[in-house]
Amino acid sequence: MASYGGYQRTGYGAQGGDEGGGFMSGSQQGSQGQSKRSTIDEYLRPVTIKQILDAKAGYSESEIAVDGFAVSTVTLVGQVRSVNPQTTNITYKIDDGTGGTIDVKKWVDLEKSESGAETPFSLDTWVRVLGRLTSFNGKIHVGAHHVRVIDDYNEVSYHLLEATYVHLCISRGLPGGPWPHKEGAVGGGGHGGGDSDSMFIDGGNGYGTASGAGGDSRVASCSRQAKSLYQFMQSDPRSIEGINIADVMGASGMSKRDILAAADELLGNGIVYTTVDDETWAILET
Amino acid sequence: METSTPRVTCAYLNSYVGKNVMIVGKVVQIRGEDAIIDADGNIPCKLNRDAHLSPGNGVQVIGKVNPDLSVKVLSSLDLGTGVDYNLANTVVEVSHQHKSLFAYD
Repeated sequence: MASYGGYQRTGYGAQGGDEGGGFMSGSQQGSQGQSKRSTIDEYLRPVTIKQILDAKAGYSESEIAVDGFAVSTVTLVGQVRSVNPQTTNITYKIDDGTGGTIDVKKWVDLEKSESGAETPFSLDTWVRVLGRLTSFNGKIHVGAHHVRVIDDYNEVSYHLLEATYVHLCISRGLPGGPWPHKEGAVGGGGHGGGDSDSMFIDGGNGYGTASGAGGDSRVASCSRQAKSLYQFMQSDPRSIEGINIADVMGASGMSKRDILAAADELLGNGIVYTTVDDETWAILET
Repeated sequence: METSTPRVTCAYLNSYVGKNVMIVGKVVQIRGEDAIIDADGNIPCKLNRDAHLSPGNGVQVIGKVNPDLSVKVLSSLDLGTGVDYNLANTVVEVSHQHKSLFAYD
């Protein structure tokens, strides 16, 4: 139980970005950070306006980060508080009640506007904005690709919950099981007091594996041990020549039997291969 | 500089006396400039001149909470009949659990 618990904590620590407990230390997080940065153009992040306003501090002009994640394309909702039409763009001040207004610039399509000018949205209507965060002179605005009126108010509620959901996924990992914290109320009610301990362990478990799978789809279908061995090997630069079982045992605290079983599974799936001997493995790069 | 209007239901009013809040609820009753809005409990509201509310419809109100826990309406927006009030109340709960996304203290 003791070693088991220790293992769990490391999985959680590495994902949660706390001070890296155990074997999954800095290098693992570093490599993850890089892979995230390369995909910033490919994901659309639902945010509240407060998240954008808070994102100002501490980041360079080129990079805007929310929850420590570089963000460029966002979707948000808000009420139109002011409209400022200019020749090339219409600037809206948008407010969703979470903390002030943000400027949303919608560029005017000059060809279209000759035939029939875009009619600006009227004050106080709720709109959905899809656009790119841009920092100019230390002030963040949204360069809107698309702005439309929200007809059904439930979309506003939906968006706020979605923004919270994504925030939680990023700050705590994917929901592979029940949330391991008491804030689990979001997921659907608190757990009974009597077995809350066991719920925590189960929750923590599913949490660790699910977030591991989020890190790499190659091991998504593997067992927990195989995932943690894979993550450990990824995090260790020696894995280019191969990591010996003794190193894994020393650093991870997994038992020899678990490691061998995990390695067998990874070998069977063609994810790792043996190098100098049967008990030294390297990750097969794709 | 930043001014948030926290989303609240009836139960949260006493924590926001003197502050501006946002309420989403159902219009129960209108009498002249007084209205009652149900947001997980009835909230008496003092309307402003340009409020156009219809009984039975959903409404979003931004207003200031008076010491007697009534709300002085600063702006209101009719939301029609399709509002899911349970959803709106859930948003209020979630927004109080995760204040970092929703409000400045």
